[in-house]
Amino acid sequence: MRLFTILTCLTAFFLLALQSVASEGELDALRANVPLLQEPTPEPLYQVEDRSRRPVREYPMQPPTIPHRIDNYQVDLNANRCMACHARSRIGETQAIMVSVTHYMDREGNFLGDLSPRRYFCMQCHVPQTDAPSRVGNTFVDMSDLIRESRQRSE
Amino acid sequence: MKLTRRDFIKSSAVATATTAAGMSTAVQAQNIVTDAQHTQLQWSKAPCRFCGVGCGVNVAVRDNRVVATHGDMQSPVNRGINCIKGYFLSKIMYGEDRLTQPLLRKTNGEYDKNGEFTPVSWDEAFDVMAEKYKAALREKGPGAIGMFGSGQWTIWEGYVANKLMKAGFRSNNLDPNARHCMASAVFGFMRTFGSDEPMGCYEDIEAADAFVLWGANMAEMHPILWTRITDRRLSHPHVRVSVLSTFEHRSFELADQPIIFTPQADLAILNYIARYIIENDRVNWDFVNENVRFMEGNVDIGYGLRPEHRLELAAHNARDSAGARDIDFERFREFLQQYDADMVTEISGVPKRQLDALAELYADPDTKVMSFWTMGFNQHTRGVWANHMIYNIHLLTGKISTPGNSPFSLTGQPSACGTAREVGTFSHRLPADMVVTNDHHRRYAEEIWRVPEGTIQSQPGAHAVLQNRMLKDGDINVYWVQCNNNVQAAANLVEETYPGYRNPDNFIIVSEAYPTVTAELADLILPAAMWVEKEGAYGNAERRTQFWQQMVTAPGEARSDMWQMMEFSKRFDIEEVWPEAMLDANPEYRGKTLYEVLFRNGQVDAYGLDELNPDFGNDESHHFGYYVQKGLFEEYARFGRGKGKDLDSFDSYHQSRGKLWPVVDGQETRWRYNGDYDPYVEEGRKIHFYAQADGRAIIYAVPYEPPAEAPSEDYPLWLVTGRVLEHWHSGSMTRRVPELHRAYPQAVVYMHPEDARELGVRRGSEVRIASPRGDMHTRVETRGRNRMPRGVVYVPWFDASQLINKVTLDATDPISKQTDFKKCACRIEAV
Amino acid sequence: MFKRIGSFLGALWRVFRSPSGYFSLGFLTVGGFIGGVLFWGGFNTAVEATNTEQFCISCHEMEANVYQEILPTIHYTNRSGVRAVCSDCHVPHNWTDKMARKMQASKEVWGHIFGIIDTREKFLDHRLEMASREWRRLEANDSLECRNCHDEQYMDFTRQSPRAAAAHQRGLVEGDATCITCHKGIAHELPDMAGVHGWE
Repeated sequence: MRLFTILTCLTAFFLLALQSVASEGELDALRANVPLLQEPTPEPLYQVEDRSRRPVREYPMQPPTIPHRIDNYQVDLNANRCMACHARSRIGETQAIMVSVTHYMDREGNFLGDLSPRRYFCMQCHVPQTDAPSRVGNTFVDMSDLIRESRQRSE
Repeated sequence: MKLTRRDFIKSSAVATATTAAGMSTAVQAQNIVTDAQHTQLQWSKAPCRFCGVGCGVNVAVRDNRVVATHGDMQSPVNRGINCIKGYFLSKIMYGEDRLTQPLLRKTNGEYDKNGEFTPVSWDEAFDVMAEKYKAALREKGPGAIGMFGSGQWTIWEGYVANKLMKAGFRSNNLDPNARHCMASAVFGFMRTFGSDEPMGCYEDIEAADAFVLWGANMAEMHPILWTRITDRRLSHPHVRVSVLSTFEHRSFELADQPIIFTPQADLAILNYIARYIIENDRVNWDFVNENVRFMEGNVDIGYGLRPEHRLELAAHNARDSAGARDIDFERFREFLQQYDADMVTEISGVPKRQLDALAELYADPDTKVMSFWTMGFNQHTRGVWANHMIYNIHLLTGKISTPGNSPFSLTGQPSACGTAREVGTFSHRLPADMVVTNDHHRRYAEEIWRVPEGTIQSQPGAHAVLQNRMLKDGDINVYWVQCNNNVQAAANLVEETYPGYRNPDNFIIVSEAYPTVTAELADLILPAAMWVEKEGAYGNAERRTQFWQQMVTAPGEARSDMWQMMEFSKRFDIEEVWPEAMLDANPEYRGKTLYEVLFRNGQVDAYGLDELNPDFGNDESHHFGYYVQKGLFEEYARFGRGKGKDLDSFDSYHQSRGKLWPVVDGQETRWRYNGDYDPYVEEGRKIHFYAQADGRAIIYAVPYEPPAEAPSEDYPLWLVTGRVLEHWHSGSMTRRVPELHRAYPQAVVYMHPEDARELGVRRGSEVRIASPRGDMHTRVETRGRNRMPRGVVYVPWFDASQLINKVTLDATDPISKQTDFKKCACRIEAV
Repeated sequence: MFKRIGSFLGALWRVFRSPSGYFSLGFLTVGGFIGGVLFWGGFNTAVEATNTEQFCISCHEMEANVYQEILPTIHYTNRSGVRAVCSDCHVPHNWTDKMARKMQASKEVWGHIFGIIDTREKFLDHRLEMASREWRRLEANDSLECRNCHDEQYMDFTRQSPRAAAAHQRGLVEGDATCITCHKGIAHELPDMAGVHGWE
């Protein structure tokens, strides 16, 4: 009898718990699966990765992410901290990667003698990466995988 | 079957993953591929899915998957570059929790508002929906039905929604999320010029000598236009950039004149400049005498809150906020006298020398000036006034409609212009600048739509903010949300949004690609196809209409919004939606379904499948049996042709990188109202504002008035909300791209380090931001890209786990009904 | 008039030169020593007071410009809580140089009184000149003030990011760079860098 009561209580508890889990808050991973009117504890401020390892590009035209910290890097009318290392004239001394040749082209595709002003603000396309865990995965497939598959199929 | 998030991921992974992508390619050795067949990608053009700039993108497809994107070299908008979001477009459709089947809240196999989301067939989903629609129509009439759409709808999706709601269900309760974005700009254009949307175009940038950013942070929000401004400024040292804001942000990096002002004081600064121009005798009299007249607007117009709110009861003109009367120049001048340097400096905190330097850019006849604004002006309880005031300045100096002289209203959504504004999916609008309150306009629309006279209701429906209030009050009971995330986006979430969605009397349908907080509050979720999973068209901020083809198929059972609306309309006999009297007078409609009346009308179904481009898919057309998009577009285009809103033929847009309307004889119009460029301008005139009956644009005398809420003892800080570069709007797409997520993983509150110290908190501290309406937890940021003045804090709204709209106030501009997301009072406490 | 002042000064000089008739040599020595200590201590305390951040930012020019700029930088807050105040970087630690710098600083008082940089615009107009002076000084003294805290002899490169370690090895250990060669603008915003080596 006592066992039955306990079992009933447990089942009820379990069902209730399930109910609350499966209703509000369950769907949206970007909300950390917390019901709307509750406040989740905000995630900590994540560190920017600073390993200087060259990142893989998801496709050839993807602007590479920045593999190092850029805290307080000044890029404005007065100075461009990024180009102080990544400009063609600077890479000998700094051993940084030169910016892509497209960055020396104007709107019409003509090559200029120096960085194209339209590419001046680096952080519009290149961003550092924090070590934040991802909330939702992505099933994007690299073209190389598709190419390999198609070759395997044809073999 | 219960479905938890994990199951979602599993089922959608099965549906979407055509190949095992477990191992990174980088770790595997690979030979260089030489066989061309293996390396080939199919490239096509599309406009970007994000902001209103409307960059061209080249999209690579292989094996029914998007594998790469890059900036389109041929697009005149961006010439080969994208911003960080645009470069990662390839990945936005592949979040692993993509919705792939309809989900209905059920208990024991039956619909239940408190039930759990359960996969159902489209048939069952539409059955339940139709039952709710029919019950609402029977019991309360069309007013109980509402729809909330988007400036991210394709042109034909918006057009189908407009027709379905206003002619089909005969309800004007249709509004787009563009109401939150540029309704104030729309009213500014309509009242000043009589025609919506900018007169100039992006090419103004390459011709201007000075740029003034009024609250706009283009470096983050319109990055590619910013590259064009940067190009102009750095290539031509005489060019000046003036940036005005309530805090220092990335656009200040290019500022020759950085100006920080007190929230709401932009109104005073604008009037100061007008006064400066007049008092220093810099008015362009030739221009003003020929092209301008003057009016004075009603003052003390309230704040668009619920009518019983004390601020509304105290406002004299809350009921006639849009009222205005004719005045002459002398009265305008007299009106401006109060805006002297002392007064404006006191209100704004901007010293006279800065005000004068700014005013001089406008006053100097040899400086071509481009003004930019977006949410700073539009999300403003006096947003329409702010729009008027900037036009005042450009009109007084004649700096308008000529290359380089351009007051330019930016937009936030890819088709805020093309769909929300041009198609007219607002609660008071019809296509091509027409309105439901005008008898001729309604009749014109009814004729094109081939529906009986009197079909369209003459009263404006409920706008965005009112829709939420009516849902809460139980006045709207069936509500369909498509292509947006309004639970996250709308102000005052706890008091005004949440209760309506969960009101037991209401049935909420949300069409979405991903589970969002809005989807979570729905009763029925419909899985949506997105972007290049359908053929589409967007119109950007410079009036450029751009088309794209369907390039891949949508995952699982996801369908486009257009398919959903059209297919749903098959569920109604016309007798179930239109009153008997109307059918008695027009018996030829009897016996038809709503679908047949609206879409099998000999126009929408006029083009056969043989006209499809065989290189691309078109799931909707194959389903319905005719070229749906072409039929819809050609019917829609009839509204604007010959009325200054001319669109080119359907096929031409698939060939070109877009064209700026009005397109007459295949020629686009870069500068409207300018005789050298615009075919509508009267012969022999240099400038002609032909959309106004007398051909004159209107300068409005409107004052500075205080904001709805300002910091007080209990809530001592200004709260400003907005976006960040890496995420677009509510982040439902960009936060599913790992690179973008890691670049900016969560929202923070930006504040001045000394403010933080006084509160006993530091960078990274958890804090509670509170207002009388609700509170939210976040963390303090004292470094980074924004520098806050003392007493002002900034929180971006992209983060679903930090819903800042719990704190914001749902005060709106009383004329445009657009919410002010930029100013309310808050308190910050350590947690 | 001048005559009277001259005779007064002459009398004073005579008293000063004549041997003491009243005080013992011991008293004079000890008293002189104590007086000297008191004077020296007082002087140094006064000088030290001018080295505090509070003193520096009591001038509007410092508070509104350079102080606001250092707030978001690593020299203001960082993981260990060791922070640099103005004088750590801008006042030499050895006495002679410190005094020389304090003499120079009197010019800044002059600038303050006459409002040379009393608006942001004026400050920015003078920034290149002021920054260049600091760069020259740090280049000439091998970044002495940086090295009071950061000396490459005591840097553990394995604890630095790979990028920083490589740059320090290349520049500081093997090359002839000094801290300021690369770290311009580390605590305050940079002036227009056109024409500055490494930035053009």
